[in-house]
Amino acid sequence: MTDYEVRIGGERRNPAAGWTLVWDDRAQGIGRLVNGTASVPVVVEGDGSDWVVTLNGRRISVNVLTRRERLLADSASVERTQAGPTIVKATLPGLIVTVTVEVGDEVAEGATLLTIEAMKMQNEVRAPRAGKVIEVTVAAGQVVATGASLLRLD
Amino acid sequence: MSPLPPFGRLLIANRGEIAIRIIRACRELGISPIAVHSDVDGDALHVRAADQSERIGPAAAAESYLSIEAVIDAARRSGVEAVHPGYGFLSENPAFARAVEDAGLVFVGPSAAVLEALGNKLAARRSAAEAGVPIVPGTTVALGDDTGPVEEIGFPVMLKAAAGGGGRGMRRVDAAKDLRLAMDSARREALAAFGDGTIYVERMIAPARHVEVQLLGDRHGSLAVLGERDCSVQRRHQKLVEETPSPAVSPKLRTALFESARRVAATVDFHNAATVEFLIDGDGNHYFLEMNTRLQVEHGVTELVTGLDIVAWQIRVAAGEALTADVLEASSRGHAIEFRLYAENPYDDFRPTAGRVTAWRMPDGPGVRVDAGVDYGTELRPEYDPLLAKVLVHAGDRPAALARMRRALDETRVGGLETDAGFLRWLVDDSAFASGDYDTSLIASRWVHGPALTDEEASLASAAAVATRMEGTTERPAAVPETGSNWGRLARREALRR
Repeated sequence: MTDYEVRIGGERRNPAAGWTLVWDDRAQGIGRLVNGTASVPVVVEGDGSDWVVTLNGRRISVNVLTRRERLLADSASVERTQAGPTIVKATLPGLIVTVTVEVGDEVAEGATLLTIEAMKMQNEVRAPRAGKVIEVTVAAGQVVATGASLLRLD
Repeated sequence: MSPLPPFGRLLIANRGEIAIRIIRACRELGISPIAVHSDVDGDALHVRAADQSERIGPAAAAESYLSIEAVIDAARRSGVEAVHPGYGFLSENPAFARAVEDAGLVFVGPSAAVLEALGNKLAARRSAAEAGVPIVPGTTVALGDDTGPVEEIGFPVMLKAAAGGGGRGMRRVDAAKDLRLAMDSARREALAAFGDGTIYVERMIAPARHVEVQLLGDRHGSLAVLGERDCSVQRRHQKLVEETPSPAVSPKLRTALFESARRVAATVDFHNAATVEFLIDGDGNHYFLEMNTRLQVEHGVTELVTGLDIVAWQIRVAAGEALTADVLEASSRGHAIEFRLYAENPYDDFRPTAGRVTAWRMPDGPGVRVDAGVDYGTELRPEYDPLLAKVLVHAGDRPAALARMRRALDETRVGGLETDAGFLRWLVDDSAFASGDYDTSLIASRWVHGPALTDEEASLASAAAVATRMEGTTERPAAVPETGSNWGRLARREALRR
């Protein structure tokens, strides 16, 4: 375990010692952490360095990084903060109801960019930072999945 | 049970868990169940469970499950004698009920006239008041531009849409200065959702319990009162957990609620399953909210304690059968709780999510019932309701039912998407819920965004992730669990195929 560094929400975490993972259904990632007579049900999904562990019904995103991946991850985040456009992505799936901005618009941080209707709610997507809209990749009436890129801010 | 099936074939104008629930009732009654599906539901669970399924249009509900024309066409094509609308979609649409009747078919529900009368919440308020049933203090006529009537009631107030439902067009207003803006936005939302911007105002009852009474009526004038359900655990004015009997209802209050429910039911000529909903204030006063003449999502808890099949009885009374003595004199035994598994993130205001179900194991064993609409591998569509399954438990008393609910939640394993399971697992141990002394503000005041991740949880999750990764370096799992966007998944699946 010493080869891996674990992060949850960017914060370093130490794996609990003494627990063994036993699978009930390996294909679905359904298993139990076992320590003596104690047993904690878990669902594990993911691959590479990105994992999600469901514990007591709560989904917890866990990064498990090798030393090499850690170095790469650190340099990538530095590059991102230095320059480059921001891609605004859908945080929930739904129908694009309105697109409030056009290519060329200067927007302030927090300005409404577009509205997504999911199930019974209208959700406003706001600018994560101030910038100029350089590309709009969706149109009203379109259905988008979680993580779909909506537009780019320069 | 009747010796002859009430109908030969019946069309289920719905999808998901409720379509499957109705199909099961059809099977037991000897009826051939016919499903309907949109383009994206061709392989859905409810389609596979039916004898046959008719395509009714594209993914968008407005062009398929909400299209009266498409559903009536499907009913004609498949040669059914009756149509069951389930809940939601067209279940309370008078035009649909009329179209079914005009096609010479039986609508498993009340007449169009009854749906019209009850669909207008304001008119229903007036008739309840005239029948001597207490209503929430407020206006019984549409609110105009004059804010006078609202200020007379006193803040806080609730603005509500006359054509309302599902929490839309509903606004809480705490002070006079916010009133004008709230009235405008409630009107706009109501107009967009229902095509009718009429609103009215009620005094805010807080703290309040939300309790409803289950009714079953036949075409011969008989009415069965099948107990109450407490539906006070809500987010966005929508229910998450229901239980019966209500811990907040004393025998005296129960008698009063049943009497009020009978009086409201007598204002309309209905035959079907129905519920009359009430708010109960801190002093044990009850106020009529609305009456729904359709199957409720939470009908199952009543089925568990009474041993009756409400869906089968809906179909039987629609065919003209009379309610029998065992229904009219039904008694309740024990305590039942339902918790709804939704694809929603409880740590982010219960925001709906979507994705593919990559792990799915439902609880089992004594006193547990699961009504599910999805299975392992199901791709959840953003077009439809995010309800995954309803898990119901039944036990001798409330403490035993809570222990069973906790056990059932620990057996419940879902992967691939966010669910409200974390909230439900918290709820069962919450002191207010466990004591039975809670109200409709429970989520807003006690859960808020949920507790922070504990160090213990973080270190256990870390251990599970590291153990899986270490093992994965030598042996790949049979099905690679997928993460990321749908497009990413699709691309990955394509890549694996090559």
